[in-house]
Amino acid sequence: MNKIRNILEDFDCEYIENYKRVWLKTKLSSKDDLLNVAQKLKIEGLSSLSTVSPTDFLEENIMEINYFFEDLDTKRNLWLKVDLPRDEKLCEIESLTPLFPSANWHEREAFSMFGVRFLNHPDLRDIIKSKDFEGVYPFRLDFDWETHEKDIVNNMNKIVSSFKKEQEENEVDLDTDSSETILNWGPTHPASGPIRLRVHCDGEDIINIDPDIGYVWRALEHLVTKKDFIGAIVSVERLCFMDNINSMVGYAMAVEEIAGVEITPFAKWMRVLLGEVARISSHFMGLGGFFNNMGLHTLAMWNMDTREFFLDFLESYSGARIATASVEPGGVRYGLDMTMFDELQKALDKFDTTIDEVEAIFVNNPTMKLRANNVGVLSADEIYKYGLSGIVARASGVKTDIRIDEPYAAYDELDLKYITQENGSAKDRFVMIFEELKHSVDIIKQAKAHIQKAVDNKEMDPTKDHLVKVPKKLPKGEAISRVEWARGEVLMHLVTQEKATSPYRLKMRAPSFNHTMMLNHLLKGQTLSDIPLIFGSLYVCQGDLDR
Amino acid sequence: MIKILDFFDYAKSESLWMAHLCTGCCSLEMAATMGPRYDWERYGYLPTPTPRQADVLMITGLVSKKILPALLRTYAQMPEPKYIVALGACSFDGGPYNESLSVIKNPTEILPADVFVAGCPPKPEAIIAGLEEIKKKIKAGIPSAASQGGLWKEMEF
Repeated sequence: MNKIRNILEDFDCEYIENYKRVWLKTKLSSKDDLLNVAQKLKIEGLSSLSTVSPTDFLEENIMEINYFFEDLDTKRNLWLKVDLPRDEKLCEIESLTPLFPSANWHEREAFSMFGVRFLNHPDLRDIIKSKDFEGVYPFRLDFDWETHEKDIVNNMNKIVSSFKKEQEENEVDLDTDSSETILNWGPTHPASGPIRLRVHCDGEDIINIDPDIGYVWRALEHLVTKKDFIGAIVSVERLCFMDNINSMVGYAMAVEEIAGVEITPFAKWMRVLLGEVARISSHFMGLGGFFNNMGLHTLAMWNMDTREFFLDFLESYSGARIATASVEPGGVRYGLDMTMFDELQKALDKFDTTIDEVEAIFVNNPTMKLRANNVGVLSADEIYKYGLSGIVARASGVKTDIRIDEPYAAYDELDLKYITQENGSAKDRFVMIFEELKHSVDIIKQAKAHIQKAVDNKEMDPTKDHLVKVPKKLPKGEAISRVEWARGEVLMHLVTQEKATSPYRLKMRAPSFNHTMMLNHLLKGQTLSDIPLIFGSLYVCQGDLDR
Repeated sequence: MIKILDFFDYAKSESLWMAHLCTGCCSLEMAATMGPRYDWERYGYLPTPTPRQADVLMITGLVSKKILPALLRTYAQMPEPKYIVALGACSFDGGPYNESLSVIKNPTEILPADVFVAGCPPKPEAIIAGLEEIKKKIKAGIPSAASQGGLWKEMEF
């Protein structure tokens, strides 16, 4: 930390302060210093840029850009701010993509949504948003989207005609004598869900891939600003339904930090318990998806069977199988009836009886090993360079897990370990999900035993302890929180204004964004038949890809 | 003669194939409905990857602006007779995304649905119940809603 502080002290900073245990927070006085600072930080070892998050301050006439640098090895992080003028013509800054390739799509997103221009960016095109927003920036506070909405027929025509035009151009651009063609993989491929990959291929060989995303764009970051702090969990939860609880935990932690509320130990343990159940339900889908993409549906069916038992527990706890809305600022929404643990025990028993068979038939499957080994290999260097996280990073041997690096909820009281694989191929990522699954079940058993014991000893009251009151109006402030999500690191950056009743800005950094960015890198030079396999192994969900 | 026509309606209704098109989160519950516990194949439903063989189009929850043309095109590619099931709150009025700037708030005004299944997301039992409603409509010889009207006829896609 001191080394980073020394680097920053050479430059003109408004302040440098410690933030939480593993963060340093600073603000550069001038945007001209950014490139020099970034260069020195990279040499120091902060090699991943987690995300770029602009905040639009309309009254102050400022566009504030937040950069989140991370060092996955030594767990030192830096939160760096720079102010830009808000005016569309002047709102520009040097791009960090040449130094940190992980910034590529994040800068494109900031450009599409806020109109921040990044100079010397290699590929500054619109991303996510549909064509009717071309030239306008929907997340700017002075954007009048109600007027924009009224012209729906015209907007739709714009989307359709631009797509048709693109298809026509494809045919003109390519040499008619060669066998090159552009193949649309999607918008809804059965193996993927709503994403379109523009695959430029020569026969079966892939020349390059340009993913076109945004088919389930719901503008969640814009949507939460229209709701109150409790209501916003509905949007946050829908980041991705497969692991909804951990995203709510991240948001709730950020709100609690600004409100200055400490939650009860019972709520902390419940967050661990529910979070791991959601993680398991997501991993089951991920495992099944991988084999689905290889053409075998049996594993998906088996997993679905076991998954139902975990969803039963969520249903008995919250009343809903998937959209539970069960974590809110201040704790967890409902008290716990201890008989619900019987439901959880049923799920754990079911898991224990089936998991060995899954391991024998699918994880040790010789055909899978032959097919997926040495396909889509990611080295540890590439993990740092492209800011990958979660199981994809750990499959390449990088020891990163936010549950251990920056413990939240009750994870600091649990017995956790880094689970890693070595080679970083598609096979390793598949095995990784499986190992994580077993680890999560182990965590659930620990958490369950702990809650049971504390309740028996009357240290916790499961019917009353679950929620602490959080004031409806929050003071001015900002906070970040990180959670280890099923797919990787989710970083929430929450900004509130004085006496706020709703979030002013919420940035959700989602892991699938970085993972999808890797597709071109991994698939260049491979054949078309590798697309589903590598796509499946990256464990991408469109929900958090588009937000 | 009437008896034979009845038989065709019966045959149609008992083997409904779904065009596999996921536009939103409800597809997760659709996957659960395919799973072993609920197993919709015992009712004669089957997902098919191509719209050319499909009888039913599922609007699985939200429809974003970007995917609407793909949805309409999928519908247009399906052979007659074809029916539409709208899953979840989003397909009715945008649901939790009602205030969002990128979601179509009224997909079923554009592409009218024969059956709505309520919920966010609807439970697998509800999805099966919704499909059973379609069976009843086919057996009663009621024409599909989208063939009767809807904005999609005027739209370009």
